[in-house]
Amino acid sequence: MQILFKIPGPLREFTENRSDVRVEVEAGADLHKALQTVFAACPGLRDRVLTEAGQIREHVNIFVANEDVRHTGGLATAVPDGVEISIVPAISGG
Amino acid sequence: MIGQTLDHYKILAQIGEGGMGVVYRARDEVLNRDVALKLLAPGALDKVGRSHLLREAQTVSSLSHPNICTIHQVGQTSSDFYVVMELIEGRSLSDLITATGLSMETVTRYGTQIADALAHAHDRGIVHRDLKGSNVMVTAEGRVKVLDFGLATRLEHEEISELTLSYSSLESKLVGTLPYMAPEVLRGQKGDHLRDLWALGVLLYEATAGRLPFRGNTGFEVTSAILREPPTPLPATVPHGLVAVIQRCLIKEPTERYQRASEVRAALEALQGAVLQIRHPSEETRGQQTLVLRGMEHLTVKNGDVLLLVGTNKGAFLLRSSRERARWDVAGPYFHGQGVYAMAYDGRNRRHRLWVSTNSLMWGTFLRSSDDFGRIWTTPLEASIRFPIESGASLKNIWQICLGREEEPETLYCGVEPAALFESRDGGESWSLVRGLYDHPHRPRWMPGNGGLCLHTVLPDPGNKERMYVAVSAAGVYRTEDGGNTWQARNNGIRVVFMPEKYPEFGQCVHKIVLHKARPERLFLQNHWGLYRSDNRGDSWQDIARGVPSDFGFAMLMHPHDADCVYILPVESDEFRCTPEGRLRVYRTRNAGGSWESLECGLPQKGAYETVLRDGISTDSLDPAGIYFGTRSGKLFGSRDEGKDWKKILEGLPQIVCVKAVVIEMDEAPAAKPYGKAKPTTKRKTSLRKSVRRGKRR
Repeated sequence: MQILFKIPGPLREFTENRSDVRVEVEAGADLHKALQTVFAACPGLRDRVLTEAGQIREHVNIFVANEDVRHTGGLATAVPDGVEISIVPAISGG
Repeated sequence: MIGQTLDHYKILAQIGEGGMGVVYRARDEVLNRDVALKLLAPGALDKVGRSHLLREAQTVSSLSHPNICTIHQVGQTSSDFYVVMELIEGRSLSDLITATGLSMETVTRYGTQIADALAHAHDRGIVHRDLKGSNVMVTAEGRVKVLDFGLATRLEHEEISELTLSYSSLESKLVGTLPYMAPEVLRGQKGDHLRDLWALGVLLYEATAGRLPFRGNTGFEVTSAILREPPTPLPATVPHGLVAVIQRCLIKEPTERYQRASEVRAALEALQGAVLQIRHPSEETRGQQTLVLRGMEHLTVKNGDVLLLVGTNKGAFLLRSSRERARWDVAGPYFHGQGVYAMAYDGRNRRHRLWVSTNSLMWGTFLRSSDDFGRIWTTPLEASIRFPIESGASLKNIWQICLGREEEPETLYCGVEPAALFESRDGGESWSLVRGLYDHPHRPRWMPGNGGLCLHTVLPDPGNKERMYVAVSAAGVYRTEDGGNTWQARNNGIRVVFMPEKYPEFGQCVHKIVLHKARPERLFLQNHWGLYRSDNRGDSWQDIARGVPSDFGFAMLMHPHDADCVYILPVESDEFRCTPEGRLRVYRTRNAGGSWESLECGLPQKGAYETVLRDGISTDSLDPAGIYFGTRSGKLFGSRDEGKDWKKILEGLPQIVCVKAVVIEMDEAPAAKPYGKAKPTTKRKTSLRKSVRRGKRR
């Protein structure tokens, strides 16, 4: 099945400047699997989105469709065919 | 060959194979490092060819450039001829180029580095002669390394004739080489450095379009296309500027090509800012352009210049002055919007490398470097400093980048948050956690200070390679006597005001420690309340806060030449972390803490509620020494007479968190020459308004 990742501006240097990255993942895959696939295609993304311990960075939000995955099971969130996954920087700052 | 030893190189594994021989990963058992060892195939060269190659390799081994693979040694035994080179971990450019080509930004970034490598070699009379994608490696950090300089087999006229006639049956080495050959070489001329510029043009074309400019099914067809036909047109989406650069490299008449690699480099450099604008006109990408393209003119640095590295919570700035230190050129902000808590300059081993830690609230912390004073920065795909997965920890910030001792020019240390020490033994390419400290039994009871639980100071003992000190807030001073395997708390006599037990073994909130290389047994310490000195390598500490308005403070600086002279910037209290009485005063002792004097001439003495953070003060190594400090309010002050008179160098910067001063020593032409139209900026406003992107920042 196909998943579309929406990439924020600061990370597009790792996606050949593309805002949309489409990846093919096997049916039934979860967010973790989908992320691994997009990280393999765009290696610079992984360490910007996840910590080395494998957690989503504190000030990065990931939405599967319109749901923040922090409320839907985190990396185990199911990703249906054709869904859009958005990587969004939090609005925090200083 | 695997397992065998050649001279003092133990062959570990085969990592490549080419027309001229096999490349192995090998262990240099004398210098204890891994290298690449190219063993020439027995039939690759005749006796004359060998002696020619030997002489040439010896010349090439004199090249020292960040984008050229270093040749360590050329050797021969009775049966073997081999070349020992720097081991480069990465992928070849030919592997990276996809069918649709690379982004313009990537092409210009890689192209600039290749051109810079060629310029360096050409200036020394060395021509590559076999530049192609498989001879260019790209490291994980994005740094380009050109391989096999001058080592290409010299193709004689007869071989070329054969090549053009029987392309399909030739050895792979020749097939790989033909599409990059310049017309004059195919006509049987030897060709000079301009043949490399042709090959660079082919490579830029290939990287841009994902295919070669001159193609054919046979060697004859390829040769014919190179000699007579224009290159296949590039896609319409390629910016005109880049097309023009490639076309000028690919002019068949050598005298009409670019004449110097530095011209190609300058042209690519100038393109870097323009590329995205041309390629992505949509509204959506314009937002990103604003972010990426904001830039500045870069510094041009000469031998003997003084450089100030200024890290702020929103980016880094670089300042340059002559030895007079009267006028400063400013470049920045680099790493726009990111916190830069640690900076360092590594001038060892003829490097001119800037190190920076960048901290993005969203995207994490990365170690970046530049070998050309800020024009191009590495953008690592993966973080080089990372906690082992089993630790469960993750890097929050890098607080300190510290060079190893002079006799260990490949050693670097980083102090990080959460408190840990990382070390590199290969000039910063790879890093490992110092487990002896990380696994210390005290660690679970260390408490974070206001800035988090950070290891902010690393002090190798200059006279003893086994001894080192670190300072952790809030855990105190720890010392190793065995090269980092075991660590002992060294806080005896340091008072802790915020704990029921006032003199615990550890738990002190140490803000900074310093030592002088002439008296490495003596340390000075600025504590969270308290000024101390130790005369016995930290075994015990005595209070030296006599005659200061407050013994609270963060910054502390050792004089570069006087082991009895220390500078501090007291602040009023932990509740009011500003200069006492609204007066900005530097305090100095010249008798190792026996007494302190105020240095305030030229500093504001009314309403100046300033704070200077722990790494916010630095000194150059000149005599008289220059002293520089930056404030949280974004003011940068300097004195060129050791603190007697101060001048404000800059104001209006973001919060300054670190300042490092260095004197640049170059024993030959600088790696970073003036590029194109880049001129030193003389005013800060100018530098901040410029919007030409010449380096990679983020």
